[in-house]
Amino acid sequence: MILAAENVAYSYDGEGVIEGVSLEVDPGEVLAIVGPSGTGKTTLLRVLALFDPPEEGTVLADGEDVWARSEERRLPIRRRIGMVFQDRSLFSTSAARNAAYGLFVRRSWDERLRSSLAAFLGRDGSPDGAYDALETVGLAEKADQHAGSLSAGEAQRVAFARALATEPDILLLDEFTSNLDPRNTAVLETAIDRARDRGIGVAMATHDMQQARRIADRTAVLLDGTCIECGRTERVFENPRDERARKFIAGELVY
Amino acid sequence: MVGIFGDLNTQYVISTAIVSLYVSTAAVGLSTLASLPIALAIGFSDFRGKNAVTTVINTGMGFPSVVVGLVVLLFLSNAGPFGSLGLLFTPKAMIISQFVLATPVIMSVSLSAVEGVDQRIRDAAFAAGGTSRDVGLVVVKEARYGIVTAILAGYGRAISEVGSVLVVGGNIAFADGTAFTRTLTTAVTLEARQGRYEVGIALGAVLLVLVLGVNAIGSWARRRGGGT
Ligand SMILES: Nc1ncnc2c1ncn2[C@@H]1O[C@H](COP(=O)(O)OP(=O)(O)OP(=O)(O)O)[C@@H](O)[C@H]1O
Ligand SMILES: [Mg+2]
Repeated sequence: MILAAENVAYSYDGEGVIEGVSLEVDPGEVLAIVGPSGTGKTTLLRVLALFDPPEEGTVLADGEDVWARSEERRLPIRRRIGMVFQDRSLFSTSAARNAAYGLFVRRSWDERLRSSLAAFLGRDGSPDGAYDALETVGLAEKADQHAGSLSAGEAQRVAFARALATEPDILLLDEFTSNLDPRNTAVLETAIDRARDRGIGVAMATHDMQQARRIADRTAVLLDGTCIECGRTERVFENPRDERARKFIAGELVY
Repeated sequence: MVGIFGDLNTQYVISTAIVSLYVSTAAVGLSTLASLPIALAIGFSDFRGKNAVTTVINTGMGFPSVVVGLVVLLFLSNAGPFGSLGLLFTPKAMIISQFVLATPVIMSVSLSAVEGVDQRIRDAAFAAGGTSRDVGLVVVKEARYGIVTAILAGYGRAISEVGSVLVVGGNIAFADGTAFTRTLTTAVTLEARQGRYEVGIALGAVLLVLVLGVNAIGSWARRRGGGT
């Protein structure tokens, strides 16, 4: 699936945050979204994750306006998108059941009832896909631990596993390694590499310029809610066309 | 019949306790079914007058039970709009009045529990492919401690009140001592008024044991409900 934003604008309580942003998440490609804090990266990812319709512009899935669909018909599209949030977002249950949640909501009510009952009786009914995803992020041995007692980095990896378990076409990542040490950052970056090889399209907001250079095929620089620079990562970093983008990348931008 | 309560009629005590349990459980069960969806709807939405609605619900927690009984009586009496149903002085009438008493408690406490669930939890459920119903279920599960507390508080209010069940139920027992609309609380009132204090105290002790039992079940449910 190709997920695209076309000229989108979004505001909170009349306060404009992003404006006229166009970008595309293509299969088998990693797009980095960089920019100063408060510039609208999270907001843009939320628009792509179909939380709310943009106030202007359109969000397209394979060229079709997603918001022209009914809510019911939008659900299958939403279910091909996975998102990992910037802050702690786990449910107060075990790591395994957190990782399984996306698979859980996709099952029939009958199966869900049975799995909930099993959990209530102290048996775990989490599907295999959840364990595979936990394995990928190196947390298989923490499967039964309660989310509340996970460290920040572990929680972030469980959230990553939750998005990965559903095998989405599009993966939206918001500062997904902000709490991770270099080793675990490498583990997740490898997971992204593999996802890309499987044809998944990734869009990730990051503050880590080195990370963008390492894994992103394309990079978009967001400043004050508009895309001032977008292109192949090497080109954006080595030869930025926009003066403010150059300053931001060089760490000289004052804002 | 002489039983475990000395010269107290065992059948009398047991049937009274059963009426109490039946009426309060039915009222609280129905009230929970009605209150939870409403608490979720209010908790999720932002509308004008939301504060006013919340204030009204909170005020309802302190409604004097005799007044509620009186209003239900007016509705169910022969002259009232539902008089033809013939519900007055039956356990059903008591269920209705306890429903009215328990609902503001259950709604108010579960509303604050629902509102305490972080927006980020809802977002996570939505982003993982949840429908609005799935998001609601996640919130209920996250708020489960508060919701169980709400149900227990409602149960406590229902099973321990005297005023409304006395007014709409009539404290009726059959000639053989079997309770019809007599609950533990109304029985205690009657025994005390007639000077049979030991019997009153025994009935009060049974009531306490029941409330304790219900709370024990509640905390067991709180410990077990770990799933999402
Ligand atoms: N729910 C909200 N209500 C009101 N304003 C908001 C809300 N969420 C974000 N904002 C504002 O919108 C702007 C953009 O926020 P956003 O979270 O998209 O930035 P960001 O680029 O992700 O920042 P960071 O790098 O710090 O995560 C900020 O000025 C923020 O204060
Ligand atoms: Mg952000």
